[in-house]
Amino acid sequence: MKTTLSYKILIWTGIAVLLVWSLGPIYWTIASSVTPSADFSTRPINFFPQHFTLDHYSRLLGVNIARIGGVEVFKQFRAALINSVVTSVAATLLCVAISAFGAYAFTRLQFPGRKALFIIVVATLAIPAYAVLIPLYQIMIKLHLVDTYVGVALIYVSAFLPLSLWLLKSVFEALPIALEEAAQLDGAGRLYIFFNIVLPLAGPGLTAAAILTFLGAWGQYLVPLIFSPQATKPLTVLIPEFVTKNFIDYGLITASGSIAIIIPALVVIFLNRYLVSGLLAGSVK
Amino acid sequence: MASVSVTNVRKSYGHFEVLHGVDVDIQDGEFVILVGPSGCGKSTLLRMIAGLEEISGGTVSIGSKVVNNVAPKERDIAMVFQSYALYPHLTVEANMGFSLKLAKAPKEETRKRVLDAARILGLEHLLDRYPRNLSGGQRQRVAMGRAIVRNPQVFLFDEPLSNLDAKLRVQMRSEIKQLHQRLKTTTIYVTHDQIEAMTMADRIVVMRDGFVEQIGTPLDLYDRPANLFVAGFIGSPGMNLIRGKISAIGPLAFIADGGGELPLPAGAALERGAEVIYGIRPEHLAIGQGAVTADVLLIEPTGAETQVTASFGSDHLIATVRERLELAAGDTLAITPDVGKVHLFDAKTERRLVLA
Ligand SMILES: Nc1ncnc2c1ncn2[C@@H]1O[C@H](COP(=O)(O)OP(=O)(O)OP(=O)(O)O)[C@@H](O)[C@H]1O
Ligand SMILES: [Mg+2]
Repeated sequence: MKTTLSYKILIWTGIAVLLVWSLGPIYWTIASSVTPSADFSTRPINFFPQHFTLDHYSRLLGVNIARIGGVEVFKQFRAALINSVVTSVAATLLCVAISAFGAYAFTRLQFPGRKALFIIVVATLAIPAYAVLIPLYQIMIKLHLVDTYVGVALIYVSAFLPLSLWLLKSVFEALPIALEEAAQLDGAGRLYIFFNIVLPLAGPGLTAAAILTFLGAWGQYLVPLIFSPQATKPLTVLIPEFVTKNFIDYGLITASGSIAIIIPALVVIFLNRYLVSGLLAGSVK
Repeated sequence: MASVSVTNVRKSYGHFEVLHGVDVDIQDGEFVILVGPSGCGKSTLLRMIAGLEEISGGTVSIGSKVVNNVAPKERDIAMVFQSYALYPHLTVEANMGFSLKLAKAPKEETRKRVLDAARILGLEHLLDRYPRNLSGGQRQRVAMGRAIVRNPQVFLFDEPLSNLDAKLRVQMRSEIKQLHQRLKTTTIYVTHDQIEAMTMADRIVVMRDGFVEQIGTPLDLYDRPANLFVAGFIGSPGMNLIRGKISAIGPLAFIADGGGELPLPAGAALERGAEVIYGIRPEHLAIGQGAVTADVLLIEPTGAETQVTASFGSDHLIATVRERLELAAGDTLAITPDVGKVHLFDAKTERRLVLA
């Protein structure tokens, strides 16, 4: 097909719209986080910050002590950041570990009801979270797990497990079975094969599952709003609290929002190198 | 080293039977090749011997022990897969030493055995490489090295050469054969390439559609194929096979359905008028004199010999001759079959008819 000029323009316009759509809010958040509070009310709105300040960050990170409602912002922020990291990391590790075992069992072990069970587990993806919130809340109260790391992490695991299980199952199915058979003849048992042959080769798949789970857990709002009201409150729940009855602290919201964006971005960048494909090259032709 | 006995072995997937009672007895130290067209059940049989596939009926014994319910790792066999199945995240050395490491062999011994195997296969300089950095032939050798290191009772090979180019295949063929002569380990080797089977095997098992058609030494199969299938399968170019009848009256001769007459050994005990298939190998057709005439269609010189395709009635005859002939397409040839080398098969049962 010959690419005409108008076709090219169309494509590039589409790309530009998508970029503005997805990156625009991020730019706006970061730009606002370095804008002095006084400039928020200037009109017309400037696309580039007219003055530069790190004031919001220093308030957030406790370099200058500022108070909202009598509590130090820095302490709140630090606690929420830690909570977000702890719950997301715990959920990710648990979820990937459990789904790796589960997916392998669904792929290679024969047991009655295998297909049905898998379909049921994956079908839970279709259940919206708010449909189960109230019964779940009662269960968590009874178990004394509300506002605990364990409780929140478990909820995340149950939410993200099906997706990760599904993903890893297709990853394991794509691994050449001859490798496992060769190891079997070489004298390896099931678990040895799983840990020493299957997992190393499924590295990219495990990484993808980890990224998905981490991002999903990191961005949760509704679940922690209910299940992490105080001690385990994450960033997503804290940030909207900078909006008080009388005053919206745009500076703090955008500065903490920027940090909340940067952490998952760093995680993805770090894990990205394990997503390399072609690891299987040369094993089977 | 051990003998291997396969007795009345069956394999079904659900209601679908793919092996219908296979019997093969393999002697200690023998090199046996399973050969047959695609889908005939060679790999299935091999995998049942390895223990990777359940046995639906019959018994498999290694040594004198029935191994039907013995786990693969307890059978003391090593297998080379068509896909090589090298562990991609391990070096050549680790790949070859994998089983010894699992068996908790001392480090120095593992290293020594890996080095020995590497030396036999010419892999010493590649021990630190990863499989992805090897050529196809080198990968193939590593896969064999992994098997040799184990010093097993039985080697199993499933089409180990089919991913290699033609030249390398010929080279590896003789390397594997030499390796067997050196190690004398009982070997079962699957291929669909009859030349591989002919050149390497002590004995060949010809299979078709889940049945064993014939078992014998390469020359046995070549000289006395038990049926039409084996006759057509073994040999390249294939045996000339022509449908027709034994003459009902007059001197004993073969009358081709497509027209034309071919000679039979004098005094052969044959039913007059019977429908048969006449088989003669290309090298048993002499060109130059004789009563049979055919028209040349194609001349294919390979250097050492020349392959002549000629039309005979509505059939084709292929002859290979060593002398260089001044021939061209369209010429009429006189052909003489070597009557001592004629094969006859019953047209219905397709079984070999005994002529003497
Ligand atoms: N898991 C399975 N389920 C059902 N049928 C199978 C299964 N595995 C193999 N078969 C059938 O068993 C028959 C024998 O297969 P097998 O792989 O042994 O053939 P083969 O002789 O090795 O052929 P090739 O030369 O193509 O490798 C085939 O008809 C195949 O379709
Ligand atoms: Mg096969």
